[in-house]
Amino acid sequence: MMIPLRYNIRSLMVRKATTAAATLGIALVVFVLASALMLSEGVKETLSSAGREDIAIVLRKGSDAEMGSTIEDPQIGLIKSMSGVKRESDQPLGTGEVVIVIALEKLGAEGVTNVLVRGVTETSHKLRPDVKIVEGRLPSPGSDEVMIGRAIRGRIKGVELNQSFDLKKNRPVKVVGVFEDNGSSYESEVWADLDNVRASFGRQGAVSSVRVVLDSPASFDAFQAGVESDKRLGLMAKRETKYFEEQSQGTSIFLTFLGGLIAFFFSIGAMIGATITMYASIANRQREIGTLRALGFSRFSILICFLFEAVLLSLIGGLLGLVPAIFMGSIELSMVNFASWSELVFRFRPTPEVLGIAVGSAVVMGILGGFLPAVRAARTSPLAAMRA
Amino acid sequence: MSEQAESIIRLRSVTKEFERGGERLRVLENLDLDVGRGAFEALMGPSGSGKSTLLNLMAGLDRPSGGSIEIDRKRIDQMSEGELAAWRANNVGFVFQSYNLLPVLTAVENVELPLLLTPVASSERRKRAETALRVVGLQDRMQHYPRQLSGGQEQRVSIARAIVTDPILIVADEPTGDLDRKSADEILTLLETLNRTMGKTIVMVTHDPAAAERASMTRHLDKGRLKGEEAPNREPAWEAKT
Ligand SMILES: Nc1ncnc2c1ncn2[C@@H]1O[C@H](COP(=O)(O)OP(=O)(O)OP(=O)(O)O)[C@@H](O)[C@H]1O
Ligand SMILES: [Mg+2]
Repeated sequence: MMIPLRYNIRSLMVRKATTAAATLGIALVVFVLASALMLSEGVKETLSSAGREDIAIVLRKGSDAEMGSTIEDPQIGLIKSMSGVKRESDQPLGTGEVVIVIALEKLGAEGVTNVLVRGVTETSHKLRPDVKIVEGRLPSPGSDEVMIGRAIRGRIKGVELNQSFDLKKNRPVKVVGVFEDNGSSYESEVWADLDNVRASFGRQGAVSSVRVVLDSPASFDAFQAGVESDKRLGLMAKRETKYFEEQSQGTSIFLTFLGGLIAFFFSIGAMIGATITMYASIANRQREIGTLRALGFSRFSILICFLFEAVLLSLIGGLLGLVPAIFMGSIELSMVNFASWSELVFRFRPTPEVLGIAVGSAVVMGILGGFLPAVRAARTSPLAAMRA
Repeated sequence: MSEQAESIIRLRSVTKEFERGGERLRVLENLDLDVGRGAFEALMGPSGSGKSTLLNLMAGLDRPSGGSIEIDRKRIDQMSEGELAAWRANNVGFVFQSYNLLPVLTAVENVELPLLLTPVASSERRKRAETALRVVGLQDRMQHYPRQLSGGQEQRVSIARAIVTDPILIVADEPTGDLDRKSADEILTLLETLNRTMGKTIVMVTHDPAAAERASMTRHLDKGRLKGEEAPNREPAWEAKT
């Protein structure tokens, strides 16, 4: 039979100061770990919410991203004529786009940051019906007007409604609209006219990628077979959702790894803290533990009792660390996305899995940190009940 | 000690040695002892004579270096740590000099504690603990924490804890050592009552002749040996009743 839990709960409560100290260490670890995982989830979410199941993206074979890909204009028509592509008033629904990264001066901070500029056509908007102007208006086609994503607005010099910035030296563009897209990575982009971008950067006659709308998500395999069967084209097709998922991988793995590494080193400190706390607490309770042993509680039940107390301690710490971590959910963060080397704005995302892992790691820290002290407690002789 | 009375405690040639700094210290020397069922015995002797050591052996808190210990016809000197713990839970009630209540548990929770080691159902546990506290006269202190009680009250809670499992033997190591005269007398009266009305066998170590006076018999220990035959202070409760 086990020693009742309230014994541990109250024992922790009467030692408020030491309990709080050990708890804070664990809370810090859980906070760091949860934040890193939430960031990683946020990156995944931001990048993958841009994709659609029934859109295929075609890139030059061997390129990881739109940026490094080139497709000659004549191939665009060929791609759009493949089977599986949806037609609207007898025209295949698809478009080529150019993606370029430019360096612009940050606002309110030293240095430059990379901004992704997408040269779009009128069809581009049909492919992303969720993209909506929240302020200003759509740029007129064929002009030097641009619209900017909600997320990068106000962060960079000139990238604000009714202001202008240089696409390239002496190639100014005017911001006439701000758009949003349910928090997707498009919100970190500048959308300009395709031909204007191509002219500015001497990229006439080629695009970075071609997107087409499929008859249905199931048509992808047929479309891909069509695109990739002709080896001379040297192209490859990807489902758009899959493409964005791959784009997020590098960054999210890096964040998970970095957060995990920091949390790991912090957790060693926190576990040592928990161990010291438990050792001290057990040393102070020699007579109590001896009494429990004298009354007949087995070594095993003493071991479990104090292991439980350590877990309880770290669980309190874990929950304490989660509270500020969850509040991080309302913070927006911008960092470089490794896939495009351009600025990406996203949120901390507290998913149930992340919270579960954070709390689970607190429990593990409690068990590891509390084990040796619990063994020491279990080895207490019943004769300790008699010692003053 | 009358031969016909059944012994509940039977020690034969018991020795106890401690190792300290590489030196062997013989604390109990070839000791024979019989305690009758229902007795209330006091154990006196100078400091360091081995009283606590002897009491701990009878209570199964420690094992002898040699000899045999039989309690209620069971050999406990051969038992393993785990067996001894289970045996203590079912057969011995402890009263300590410093009460040894768990400070974070209320009086009734403290009394309930040993019942967790018995098959008593959880609904029944609280009732029994309350009954035990009533026996020691603390029915209106059940929800108090030890720090909210006087020393005498704490010791009464500890006595309630000692009797709640209905053990065959109660051991008390200087139960009045930390108490003033008045509280000490109350505790002794309580032990006396437990012995007389409930027939509990009690062995009590004490330095206080007035406390020993209340027991049915006093034994004297000196340098690890019992001093000769002892005269009973009065008839043991069990025989007195029949
Ligand atoms: N665990 C131990 N290790 C080593 N020596 C011990 C141990 N326990 C007791 N002793 C020694 O055994 C002797 C008897 O101790 P014990 O506690 O039985 O004496 P006591 O008669 O109860 O004395 P007191 O009246 O002071 O309580 C003492 O010399 C003591 O130092
Ligand atoms: Mg002693």
